[in-house]
Amino acid sequence: MSSTPSCIAGAARAIQAATPVRIPAAHRTFASINSSRASIPPRAIAGNTAHRIVQAEKNVLGVSRRINGAQEQMRMFSSSSQRHALKTIQQVRARNKSGPFNLTAAILFVATAGGLYTYFTYEKERMARQRIANQTKGVGKPKVGGPFDLVDHNGNRFTHEDLLGRYSLVYFGFSHCPDICPDELDKMALMHDKVKEQCGDVMVPLMITCDPARDTPEVLKEYLAEFHPAILGLTGTYENIKQTCKEYRVYFSTPSTVKPGQDYLVDHSIYFYLMDPEGDFVEAIGRNFTAEQAARIISDHIKDWEKPLKKESRWS
Amino acid sequence: MGWFSSSSSDGSGPKKTADGAFVAPTKSTRQKCYESRDAFFECLDRNNILDSVNSKKGRDAAAKACGPADQAFEKNCAHSWVEYFKKQRVVNYQKEQTIKKIEAEGGEVMPPQLPVGSNR
Repeated sequence: MSSTPSCIAGAARAIQAATPVRIPAAHRTFASINSSRASIPPRAIAGNTAHRIVQAEKNVLGVSRRINGAQEQMRMFSSSSQRHALKTIQQVRARNKSGPFNLTAAILFVATAGGLYTYFTYEKERMARQRIANQTKGVGKPKVGGPFDLVDHNGNRFTHEDLLGRYSLVYFGFSHCPDICPDELDKMALMHDKVKEQCGDVMVPLMITCDPARDTPEVLKEYLAEFHPAILGLTGTYENIKQTCKEYRVYFSTPSTVKPGQDYLVDHSIYFYLMDPEGDFVEAIGRNFTAEQAARIISDHIKDWEKPLKKESRWS
Repeated sequence: MGWFSSSSSDGSGPKKTADGAFVAPTKSTRQKCYESRDAFFECLDRNNILDSVNSKKGRDAAAKACGPADQAFEKNCAHSWVEYFKKQRVVNYQKEQTIKKIEAEGGEVMPPQLPVGSNR
């Protein structure tokens, strides 16, 4: 209960404190106007007839009336300008003290510099990515990837057209791979999850087998399910696989005639190929990348893509 | 199909298909294979044997010193894997030695560079 009166009292005190400031200002204006009014009649009288004096007095009255009006205006104007002037003086003092630098200017400067730096760094990286992405666009460029006609791990026909509209991450491997492919497929699963987190379900992870003799759709399905249910396995005839590997510039060493029951390993290139939604090669990601680095590169490329992307999953 | 009944937790190693080929390994069979490989290599390390596959002398020495571990290795992994890992051991050792040699000579072995930017 005591807080409210004290608040009011505080406000009253504040008003009292504020009024004396205004009053001298008004007085000062009054005084200056009065002195100017007093100086006008002698000038008007000088060198004039009595008749004119009367007229002049009338004029003076008019002038004084006008002056009164002006005085009122001036009072309003002067009182506000007076306050403004006070403020400026403070500002001038502050400026004299610290030069043209104050906190606002410093924050603005740092923010602008930071913003420009970030923007130019981002643009530089984007241009570099675009250069990589566009290296295989157009005529006369080295071509990685191309049309293929294979079978997915569910036994359905799968061609390059099924990938249009989405990014794809293509890996070549085989299920009997001793150590590298399992590691890389684990990484692929991580990459897929990270990219999905950042960009949505816009990238298909694909494993194309280099060992079609042993990797039937059933084998691939069983094998890949352990890594990630989203990874799509592709197999096909030896000829089709060979053609696909050739298009992707993948070296592999599966003997074309494998005896049943033969135990062998396949030597093959170990790169992830990032393909854009038009089926063009974007970038090859090697073993030296961690899943995080790779996912970031892929996400950056996906964010650069300006054309429509199919977000719905066709295979789920 | 009996092809993919890959419950090889009883320690029988990789399964074979009807025509005698190994079935594709699962995560657990791979794990088992890696473990027996590591055990065998540890035995080789203890006996100071590097090459257990490329020369007759190495094969004999490995069989004499680490026979049981070698057999377990063969049992838990496809034969092609056993050979691959044994050869890889030699290659990895040579690679290590080469890197050490280069670094001893004051050279620097650079990891492959990332294509875009260097701060990734």
